[in-house]
Amino acid sequence: MTGGMTTEQQRRVARLFEAAVDLEPSRAASFIASDAADDAVVRNEVLSLLASHSRAGAFLQQPIGDAAPELFDDDPALAPGTSVGPYVIVRELGRGGMGRVYLATDSRLGRTVALKALAPDLVRDSAQRERLRREARAAASLSHPGICTVYALEEVDGELYIATEVVDGHTLRDEIASASRRSADVLATALELATALAAAHAAGLVHRDLKPENVMRTGDGRLKIVDFGLARIDPARSNPRGVAADTPPITHAGVVAGTPAYMAPEQIEGGSVDARTDVFAFGVLVYEYASGVHPFGGASPLATIARVLEHDAQPLAVRCPDLPAGLSEVVTRCLRKRAADRFGSAAEIVGALKATGDAMGGAPGTRWWRTHQLVVAALYVAAAVLAWQIKEWVETPLTVAIFIVLGGVATVGAVLRGHLVFTDRMNRPRLTVERRRTRRGIVLIDFVLAAMLMIDAIATGGVRALPAVFALSLAVGVSLASVVLEPATTRAAFGDEE
Amino acid sequence: MRRLVTELMTGDDDPTRDADRLAPLVYDELRRIAAHFMRGERPGRTLQATALVHEAYLRLATAGTPWHDKRHFVGIAARAMRQILVERARARGAQKRWAGLDRVTLTDALAVAAPEAAMLPALDEALTRLEAIDPEQARLVELRYFAGLSIEEAAEALSMSPATLKRRWALARAWLFRELSQSSLE
Repeated sequence: MTGGMTTEQQRRVARLFEAAVDLEPSRAASFIASDAADDAVVRNEVLSLLASHSRAGAFLQQPIGDAAPELFDDDPALAPGTSVGPYVIVRELGRGGMGRVYLATDSRLGRTVALKALAPDLVRDSAQRERLRREARAAASLSHPGICTVYALEEVDGELYIATEVVDGHTLRDEIASASRRSADVLATALELATALAAAHAAGLVHRDLKPENVMRTGDGRLKIVDFGLARIDPARSNPRGVAADTPPITHAGVVAGTPAYMAPEQIEGGSVDARTDVFAFGVLVYEYASGVHPFGGASPLATIARVLEHDAQPLAVRCPDLPAGLSEVVTRCLRKRAADRFGSAAEIVGALKATGDAMGGAPGTRWWRTHQLVVAALYVAAAVLAWQIKEWVETPLTVAIFIVLGGVATVGAVLRGHLVFTDRMNRPRLTVERRRTRRGIVLIDFVLAAMLMIDAIATGGVRALPAVFALSLAVGVSLASVVLEPATTRAAFGDEE
Repeated sequence: MRRLVTELMTGDDDPTRDADRLAPLVYDELRRIAAHFMRGERPGRTLQATALVHEAYLRLATAGTPWHDKRHFVGIAARAMRQILVERARARGAQKRWAGLDRVTLTDALAVAAPEAAMLPALDEALTRLEAIDPEQARLVELRYFAGLSIEEAAEALSMSPATLKRRWALARAWLFRELSQSSLE
């Protein structure tokens, strides 16, 4: 059948082979000799194929899945201590859609990195490698606390590795799976996520595969988006080899990411992908984060895809009536089928969410917490004034020293608490972080302030009883506020005890 | 994809039919194909089979391929399997191992089907050449060898009698066997 046969001859070969294959060899030979007496090329070809047939034995008889089950096995993991270029493997962190991820040490800088080994079948040809390099370069140029930093793309022995910042924590998927979330947390999370996404969009980067698994919460409560720019390399985009002209290619030049549940309609349909695609995924993510339910969840991926394309999600406001209306509206707009109907980019979401946050500032829990902060700040001022008055009445080196220390500490404390209230009003996503950062300082300030007041009370006790009693009660009051009231108002406002 | 869903849905008399009811059909079909791979039923392999189905499914569902009926779908799934497995074999350095075989080993190997994974890239190329001559034979090989369909199942998928399919399968095997053993001589 090779070389120079006409279609007609090829058909004849096939017909003759099929007629002769079940005959015994001698009869087959004479059958072919007579039937194709006019065409030596056809005759020889059929005989050659029949000869191959008799030698072929078990060739192809066993389906590949049975014959080579190892093709279904995972690639073995690298052992701890293995060197990969400049990196030394510490241990395996896990497996992702793109391959294994290791904890490794960069021996050049002594820094710890997450090393992602890209499955070889993802980066087989040079075009894919080049695209990946471009993506990694773009991702590496992005520096934002809400985005996992890409350090390098390394090629070692023909295999590709991506070294990134190590992000310690859990994913939003874990949070969705666990307890339900408070409205304030949902808003804060949405705003923080949108802010990080906006930084990427401003730099011209689109994530393409935003999902709860790709958002981590670190130990100090910050969110970090991981796998930025990596969604472009995907098995579904690999080379459509061997696709006949009569069937449409099953691989596609359009962008396809791995998780249909978070794909926007235009992504599923292979259309063009931009920031608004991330906006859709963001909407799905926040919807799921708030309600614990996927907006388009179906019994299977295909059902989900059909719903993404055809159905409108049940409004988030119906599922979670406690959420601020502004937040539900933002999510609804993110989930519009037509990209043009959504927010143009994450920056617009940030704007809308901030407006919601301002309107929501009146939530009872937060209001109590804010009042508490301001009242304690006022107590600080009162303590400083009292220390000044005591110094005026009983001017000894001790009371002067106490006034100086107390005045300084009270000022710092009032500034810190004022800063928290300001952050709460103006930059809510930062509040969790700021509260953690200032917590110890504020407790220490309360303690020092109470101690100073007590010493002052003792020092004045013999001379003027009334101010001494007042100083003592102020000390007790500040201590109680710090130990009892503050945890209570904080819990009421944020649901944690810090 | 929208076309696909619509098409599948309007194939039924009731166009409002819930997509949820439709999806399992398609998915089961793919699962069945994967089950053929897993015929050995080794414990612990179920997960990979499912992963493979998922992989194959994604390729189909995201490619905007409209499939007209179950047969068409089986053909596409088998092709997806071919691509996935050939890529995997290639990624694991199959060519090198294949090139390392000498003639005698090779011919023996082909006949007893020993280093199957090593052979895949070469087989894939040969299959592409066969495709140019007779697309139907290539389909047949995909169904039988890559998707693991039986003679009867493959016959149904290609709308021909099992007897005809059996003879055509013999032809395709003979052609590919010759192609692979010749390529090693060059």
